[in-house]
Amino acid sequence: MNPDTTALPLADEKHLPMPRIALSMTINGARYDIETASTATLLDVIRDQLGLTGTKKGCDMGGCGACTVLVEGRRIASCLALAASFSDAVLTTIEGIGTADRLHPLQAAFIRHDALQCGYCTPGQILSGIALLSENPRSFEEIREGMSGNLCRCGAYPGIVAAIAEVAGL
Amino acid sequence: MNPQTHVRYEAALKVTGQARYEGEVMPPGMLHAALVESPVACGEVLSVDAARAETVPGFATIVTRADSESLRPSGATALIREKAIHFHGQPVALVAASTGSQAREAARAVHVATRVQPAVTHLDQAAGAAFAPAAVGRFPAASRRGDPSRALSEAELIVRNRYTTDVNNHHPMEPHAVVCWWEDHRAVVHTSTQAVFATRASIAHAFDMPAGDIRVLSRFLGGGFGCKGQLWWPWMFWAMLASRKAGRPVRLELSRAQMFTLVGRRQATTQDLSLGFVDGRLTAIEHDVVAQTSTHADFSDSTAVYTRLLYACPNVSTAHKLVRTNEPHPVPMRAPGTAPGTFALESAMDEAAGQLGIDPLELRMRNFAAHDQESGRPWSSNRLLECYRVGAERFGWARRHERAKSKVGRWTVGFGMATTLYPAIRQACKARVRLSLDGSLVVQCGTQDMGSGTYTALGQIAADALGIPMAKVTVELGDTWLPDGPFSGGSQVTASIFPAVEAATSKLRAMLANLAVGDPGAPLGGRRPQEIEFRDEMVRGRSSNVAERLVDLLARGPADGLAAEGECAATDHQALAATGMGYGAIFVEIGVDAELGEIRVRRVCGTFAAGRILNPLLARSQFIGGLIGGIGMALHEQTVTDRATGCILGKSFTDYLIPVHADMPEFDIAMIEEDDPHLPGGVKGIGMLGTAGIQAGIANALHDAIGRRVRHLPIRIEDCLASAY
Ligand code: FES
Ligand code: FES
Repeated sequence: MNPDTTALPLADEKHLPMPRIALSMTINGARYDIETASTATLLDVIRDQLGLTGTKKGCDMGGCGACTVLVEGRRIASCLALAASFSDAVLTTIEGIGTADRLHPLQAAFIRHDALQCGYCTPGQILSGIALLSENPRSFEEIREGMSGNLCRCGAYPGIVAAIAEVAGL
Repeated sequence: MNPQTHVRYEAALKVTGQARYEGEVMPPGMLHAALVESPVACGEVLSVDAARAETVPGFATIVTRADSESLRPSGATALIREKAIHFHGQPVALVAASTGSQAREAARAVHVATRVQPAVTHLDQAAGAAFAPAAVGRFPAASRRGDPSRALSEAELIVRNRYTTDVNNHHPMEPHAVVCWWEDHRAVVHTSTQAVFATRASIAHAFDMPAGDIRVLSRFLGGGFGCKGQLWWPWMFWAMLASRKAGRPVRLELSRAQMFTLVGRRQATTQDLSLGFVDGRLTAIEHDVVAQTSTHADFSDSTAVYTRLLYACPNVSTAHKLVRTNEPHPVPMRAPGTAPGTFALESAMDEAAGQLGIDPLELRMRNFAAHDQESGRPWSSNRLLECYRVGAERFGWARRHERAKSKVGRWTVGFGMATTLYPAIRQACKARVRLSLDGSLVVQCGTQDMGSGTYTALGQIAADALGIPMAKVTVELGDTWLPDGPFSGGSQVTASIFPAVEAATSKLRAMLANLAVGDPGAPLGGRRPQEIEFRDEMVRGRSSNVAERLVDLLARGPADGLAAEGECAATDHQALAATGMGYGAIFVEIGVDAELGEIRVRRVCGTFAAGRILNPLLARSQFIGGLIGGIGMALHEQTVTDRATGCILGKSFTDYLIPVHADMPEFDIAMIEEDDPHLPGGVKGIGMLGTAGIQAGIANALHDAIGRRVRHLPIRIEDCLASAY
C-alpha cells in the first residue's frame, strides 16, 4: 500500500474559446455554408453538424474506413481530414449515392450478395468500392488489396468483394 | 416449409446510409460527454477537482462518484459508486459540454488525485491465488466421470500439453453510444445494446424507478459480439445522471481506445490438457483451465465444458480456475468457451492422430459420441459424422496423403481440420403480429438485430406462416415498448423468436380460418377451419381449388384488422429429454512462407449441421462472418497489457489487428439438413459455430505444412519463420 499521490499533469494554457471559421462545401450536389471550429474534422462536420449520419465513425483515427467519403471522386478518411482544408470542395457521401428506390448498381449488388450484416461499415465500403471501380481493378486480388483499408468486423468481406467484382464485370 | 433466400430485410436502409444507429439520434440541445480515466491500474480515487474543467468553453456539467450515491448499490453500479480503482483507464468522472471536442478538452482538465497501490498486471503474478468460480456460465465449474487419472496411467498413448490463448477484444465497428434524456420522471435511452429489456431492468434498479417509466431503444446495432451488455451500463448511468443534472439530452460515445478497456474482452486462458488412448480410442481426458478475471467481479468462459461431451470417453475430468488481475473485466465473446476450448482439444486430437498414425479425421469419427455422455441424455439430433464426410469430400481431404509437402509458388501448403460445436438453447420470448385490412403485416418483438439477420428472420417466419410476401411485412424490434424479446447472444435469438412468432401466427390463422368458413355466402363458407391453408395472400381449401383473397376476408372482420400475441418459454435445462447441440467440421488449407514467417489461410470449408436453416443466404453470411472472427483469433488478435503500468498497449486498429479483405481465403460453406423433433421448429442457432474449431484447424494445418506445433494463440510470424524450427 503505497500512500503517495499522483495526478494528471495540468494543462498550463488558459482555455480560450476555439477559433471559428466559415466554410462552404458542396455535398451531394447541395451547397452548405458552415461555421465551425477551426480544429473540427470533416467527419464531425458532416456527421454531427450537418446530420448526414450515413458517414460512420468507427475509430476516428484513420484505421477503419467507416468514415470514407469521396472528394472529387477520390476516397478519403474524413476523420483524418480537417474541415478547414476542404473549403469549396465537392464531396459525395453515402446519401448522395442512391436511394432505396433508385439504388446505385453497387448498392444493389451489395443487397444481392448479402455484403453486409450490421451495416455499420457498409457506407464506407460502398464509397470505397465506387472509388476503386473508377480505378479499374482487374482481379479479385486487386479488389481485396484495394479495399483493405475498410474493416468489417462482421466479416462480410467475401460478399463485398463479390459485389464489387460483379459491377466491375469480373 | 422450404428454406427461402430472402434478401436482408433492412439492407436497403443500410446501403443508403438511412439506417439510424442509436448514437445518431440528435435531440435539440444535446450535450456531448467524455470520460475522465484513471491514470493508474490499482488504488483509490482521493479527489476529483473540476475547477479548471469548468473554465473550458462549453462546459456544462460533471458527474462523479458523489453523484452515483443516488444510485442503488449493485454489481452494475459498484464501479461508479466505490472509490476503488481496478484497472488502468477506469473512468472516474464524466464531463458534458456543448461539443465533443469541448467535452474531451474539459475531461483532460479534470484533476484526479489517486492513492496508488501495487497492481497485478499479468496472470502469472497471481497464479498462486487461483480460485474456482462458483460456475462457468450455466455449468458447474468442475466435472468428473469415471477415473481419469487411473485411465491415464493405463493408457497406451498419452498426449499431455499446455495450450494458451491470448486476450481479444470484440470491436464491433460501431462504438458504444447512448443518447438519453428525461421527460419529467421518465427516461428515454437510445443506446447500442444487445439487450433492451435487461438494460431497462438495470436502469429501473439503479435509479429505483418503475420499468414502465423507461424506454430503451436499440433498433440498429453496429455489431456487438458480446460486448454490448452489462459492462456498458455504469457509463450509460453516468450519461443519464449528467442529463438529469444539466436538464438536457446527453450523448456519450466511447472512443475506439476505450473499447479495449471498458466493455469487456475474451479472457486469456492457460489450458492443461491430457488425452489417454487405448487402441485409438479415448479412454481418459483431463482438461484444466486457468483464466483471467478482474478484481471487481468473477467471469469464466465455459472453456472446458465441451470437452465433457464432444467425444465418447468413459473417464473425463474438467476444472476451471480464475486469477484476478488489475486488468479489464472479461465477458463472453464470439463462441465463448468453445473457441479457446476447441483450440486445445482439437489441437490435441491432431497431435494424437499423428502419434497414433491414424488420419485425424478418422480418429475423430472413431471417437464420435453417440449420445451425451456427461448428462446421459440422447442428442436431440447430431449429424456431426455427416459433416465430417461431406466436408472431407468437398475439401478434398483425401489429397492430404498424396500431397507430401507441396509448394505453390512461395507457399508451403498444409491441410488441417477440426470440429466445432455450440449448444442450442432458447430464451423466453413474446411476439405480436397485426394484419391490417390492406393485407399488410406488422411483426413486433423487443429483441435486437446486431447484424445477425433478426429483422429478416422475424419477418420471414410470420410471412411464411400466413402466406404473405416479405414486401408486405413491416418488422419492429429494438424497443422496450414492444413485447419482451430475448437478448442478442449465444446463438439463441432465432430459436427463441421462432416458437413465439409461430404461436402468434397460428392464433391469427385460426381467426382467419374462422372468418373464412363462418360466412355461408363466402367461397369457403361452411368448410372445416382445419382445412384452410394460407398461400399467395389467399386462403384456400386444402383439397380443392376454392380460395378467397385475404383482403376480402379481412374486410369482413374488425375494422382495425386482426392481431395476436404468442410466447415461448426459455429452455428448461432440468427437464430436458435430449441435449441440443449444433456441430460443424472445419477444413483448412494454409500456405506458409517460411522465409518471411508469413502464414495465409488459403481455403476454408465449413460444413455445419445446425438444425433447420431458415434463410440460406443469411446463414451463409453468418457462418463466414464467424469463421473470419476465428481467423482473427488464430492469427491476428492480441491485447497486450504493459506489465509496469497495467495500461493496455496500442489501443487502436493499427496495433490490434483484425482480419481485412486481403486476408480472406476462399470459403466453401455447406449446410447439412437436420430435422430435430426435440426443438421448436427444429431451429438450433448458428451464429457461434463458425468462430470455434477453425483456430485448431489452422494450427493443425501449420503443423502439416512445416512440422511445427504451435500451442498458443495468436500464431505469430516468429512461430512460422524457418529459423524458428
Ligand atoms: S473513423 Fe475514419 S478511418 Fe475509422
Ligand atoms: S457489416 Fe458489420 S462491420 Fe461490416
